[in-house]
Amino acid sequence: MIDSDSVKQLAGHPFDRRDFLKVLGWSGTAVALSGCGNTSIEDGRETVVSYVEASDYMVPGIGVYYNSTCAQCDAGCNINGRVREGRVLKLEGNPDSGINKGKLCGLGQAGVQHHYNPDRVREPLLRNGSKGEAITWDKAYALIAEKLAGVQGDEIAFLSGGMSGHLKVLLGNYLDSLGTRNHFVYEAIAPSVVRAANVKAYGVEMPRYRLDKAKVVLSFGADFLGAWVSPVHFSQQYAQFRKGVDGQRGVLIQVESKMTLTGANADRWLVVKPGTEGVLALGIINVLGTATGDVAELVKGYDPVRVSRETGVSVSHIEKVAALLRMRSPSLVLAGSAAEGYAHGSQNAAAINLLNQVLGNVGKTIEAPVSVPFPQMAPAKGNTAALKSLNDGLAAGKYKVVFNFAANPVFTAPGAMKFKDNFAKAGFKVAFAHYLDETALQADLVLPLDSALEDWGTQVPEYMTEGAQINIQQPLMERLHANTRGMGDIVLALLKQRKADEYKGFEDYYAYLRGAMLQNKGALGGGGVDDDTFWNETLTRGIVKLAGATGALTTHATAAGLVFPAHKEADEHYPLHLIPGVTASLRDGRHTNQPWLQESPDPLTTIVWDSWVEIHPKKATELGIVEGDIVEVTSRTGSVKAQVYLFPGIHPEAVSIPVGRGHDAMGRYAKGYGVNPFQIMDTVFEAATGELAMHETRVKISKTGQRVLVVKDEGAAGALQMGRKIASRVSTDQIDLSKEV
Amino acid sequence: MSVSNLLENWSQVRHEHPVNDKPHDPYKWAMAIDLDACTGCNACSVACYAENNLPVVGKEKFQHGQQMHWMRVERYWDEDGREFPDQGFQFLPMMCQQCEAAPCETVCPVAATNHTADGLNSQIYNRCIGSRYCSANCPFKVRYFNWYDYPTTENVWPAEMTQQLNPDVSVRGKGVMEKCTFCVQRLSAAKVTAKGEGRIVREGEVQTACQQACPTSAISFGNIVNPESRVHKQWAAQQVELDKDKQAKNEKEEGPGLRGYRILEELRAYPSVMYLERVRESAV
Repeated sequence: MIDSDSVKQLAGHPFDRRDFLKVLGWSGTAVALSGCGNTSIEDGRETVVSYVEASDYMVPGIGVYYNSTCAQCDAGCNINGRVREGRVLKLEGNPDSGINKGKLCGLGQAGVQHHYNPDRVREPLLRNGSKGEAITWDKAYALIAEKLAGVQGDEIAFLSGGMSGHLKVLLGNYLDSLGTRNHFVYEAIAPSVVRAANVKAYGVEMPRYRLDKAKVVLSFGADFLGAWVSPVHFSQQYAQFRKGVDGQRGVLIQVESKMTLTGANADRWLVVKPGTEGVLALGIINVLGTATGDVAELVKGYDPVRVSRETGVSVSHIEKVAALLRMRSPSLVLAGSAAEGYAHGSQNAAAINLLNQVLGNVGKTIEAPVSVPFPQMAPAKGNTAALKSLNDGLAAGKYKVVFNFAANPVFTAPGAMKFKDNFAKAGFKVAFAHYLDETALQADLVLPLDSALEDWGTQVPEYMTEGAQINIQQPLMERLHANTRGMGDIVLALLKQRKADEYKGFEDYYAYLRGAMLQNKGALGGGGVDDDTFWNETLTRGIVKLAGATGALTTHATAAGLVFPAHKEADEHYPLHLIPGVTASLRDGRHTNQPWLQESPDPLTTIVWDSWVEIHPKKATELGIVEGDIVEVTSRTGSVKAQVYLFPGIHPEAVSIPVGRGHDAMGRYAKGYGVNPFQIMDTVFEAATGELAMHETRVKISKTGQRVLVVKDEGAAGALQMGRKIASRVSTDQIDLSKEV
Repeated sequence: MSVSNLLENWSQVRHEHPVNDKPHDPYKWAMAIDLDACTGCNACSVACYAENNLPVVGKEKFQHGQQMHWMRVERYWDEDGREFPDQGFQFLPMMCQQCEAAPCETVCPVAATNHTADGLNSQIYNRCIGSRYCSANCPFKVRYFNWYDYPTTENVWPAEMTQQLNPDVSVRGKGVMEKCTFCVQRLSAAKVTAKGEGRIVREGEVQTACQQACPTSAISFGNIVNPESRVHKQWAAQQVELDKDKQAKNEKEEGPGLRGYRILEELRAYPSVMYLERVRESAV
């Protein structure tokens, strides 16, 4: 490195900068020539881009930053991408975001590997036997028009993942033009039962939870630090909660049958018998003794002894939790995916919400959400009930043309649904895809999409924080592959087939988006500003913050309709509960082909690149199983084989397999790693909502006789500290946190 | 220097190494990690892969212990034989501790790893001959060796993925040791900018990649010489002194009532990373 003295010396030296570069340049070329023969530029395989004519984002050696929106999950974190020499290098959180305030999770960070993934689809592919043949876009569009000709609206189905913003509006217009109402919105992992229970309890689907204001958080299986709703936002609130309100550190109690990341961070982790979360909530209300009216009537029967017997949580723990909740107010009680995943999931969630009402948390730590004043752009949500309805139609051979976008049902549909077989019955299947995933492989036509870092768009997050916001998605770099297209551009092109006159004014989706935003400039906070200034500022910020509308919450506690099913006896053929593990980095498996995520150890087990079966050590001893044994997990629907990991954070009557791995497509980083527990899921549905009860599948396990070394990061350091002070813990009574920085 | 003098003043001697005239002026980079805020989510680790061009080695090499995660999140559970981990797990983000008297430095036969004036334990890749003595001598096991030439290994960086590589960080070849640098490329850039403006780097002006990503802001990083820096205030409040191998607060009979500590401090490596103990509620 050159120090400042050398710089001064150089400055006075006749050897000027231009000569210096010349010398450096020549020697560089000489090395290139002697070392490797002709360079790729010399033999014409690459072209030299002149920096004199380069775009404004191409400043050699200088990184520029563009704001956009993370598309790795639907929380809608605002991101800030570092771009150098026209390439996007790294994603950070946008500090101005109300959602993630400059932070970004591992899944979000890996977004660049979605963009640069070597296994992206690059050309429109048309099925020819078992192969895909590259065709032109013109031909692809013509083919769609041809297949749609003469087809009735109700013979067309469009399946998509959750979507919002202008794309949702435009797609709605397209479906209208086709005369179809069959838009099925399907997210394999969505808190849909909790949403329905929240509407009954609070009058809204998702209130605004304020962990940062709570002194105690009692969470029934809500993995808010991992994969639940808006994890980066909740993580920030959690940090605040731990620092405390009025100097008193927040206490987290997690109730679940299989430990989640949130459970691993709890002050007290209470293991319950699978499905008895609601009973425990009623037991706590009983001990609190403050309920009145029909609620008091309902919980009368739920005395601690009975509740302890049914849930497996000790009477003393029930009493301690109730005492803490009584002592420290306000608190916050959350119902998460572990509580809702049963046939009586609505009852569980209702009982848990009732506890919030009884504790008087509504209005204190549960606030009314803010909504964007453009209801047509609000997120479209859906879960397995929607998929089931599509699947029934497919099974009946109802659909002649089926579109699929941002969902992979062949991978995520419960095995008992036989979705793949039914999908084959559709006449013509079009998949809009980034990769050849399991569903795209079944399609007749695959249309390659731009990555989320190449495309334009707007997104309205379901979970709003401080105020309402519309997120802007903009390209951080030019297309990596010449023949991919943005979803908006594709929908617009398809719309032009139907309504050429109405949409001829929009050259592309960008023009449509810009036009639509400018049309509502006043409402979007750009009143009195000229169009270009407004647009440029909007893109610069990457967020449009709005004074959204806030409703009121219902605070009246009622026990109406809350009846728990009789305690079910154990199934003698399939004695164990299968708990599908949802991890923060893999979720439903749509990003499993991002190698950083494959190699990022699961926080709880430290396992990489593979699936595993979590079994409690006690149960394992009983069955004669040790770590690394390959076991066959069999349900009524099917079976999978995977390695065992002995895990103390699980109920002995349950086993858990993480979802997201077990792809047999999706490219080199996903295919062939692990097993897919969706395949063995039974179709048990939640009684009130008709959604899949993901935790209701019962299984048995048997040894196969094979054993492997579990590939995990526990290795060198191990899980044990051997008495040394490595990762240290202290209890609150030994510490004074008030003087901390 | 007599042997007895050397032994008596061991702390002092080690501390002076290798910055002997004006130690830590104007910079000494240090870190504090709050284990009560850390949730073990791994965002820091992935951010490190993105920033520092770390290769993804794949399942087989991972099994051989050849993973290259400069920042890893260690997980521990209780060893008292209870049936369920009812107080959760312990997570520990672990990376190079940038020791002031680093055991790795003294054993390097070619001085490829040495101390910078701003208190970093640096690794000079093109001087490294791959003896791996440093790794053997590291008590924290945070040094990672390139057993393979990852840039030419299949599927590590296929064509498109090379475009993601950070041009500010060299891609290491086979036979070279590497480790966390406290994102030295970011520090250098900030120092150059500051120098051009005739000042030193301000608090908050530079963040490490892990710190920037951390969703709970568990990691703080900065110039501990600057009394205005958060990291300075945290170390001071926790009464952890950089150049001590036994902290005075721990000598008190009633216990310190503070939660700052350094890992394996008794080995006299004088780490530049302070951890704040994880807290668990006693009332429940």
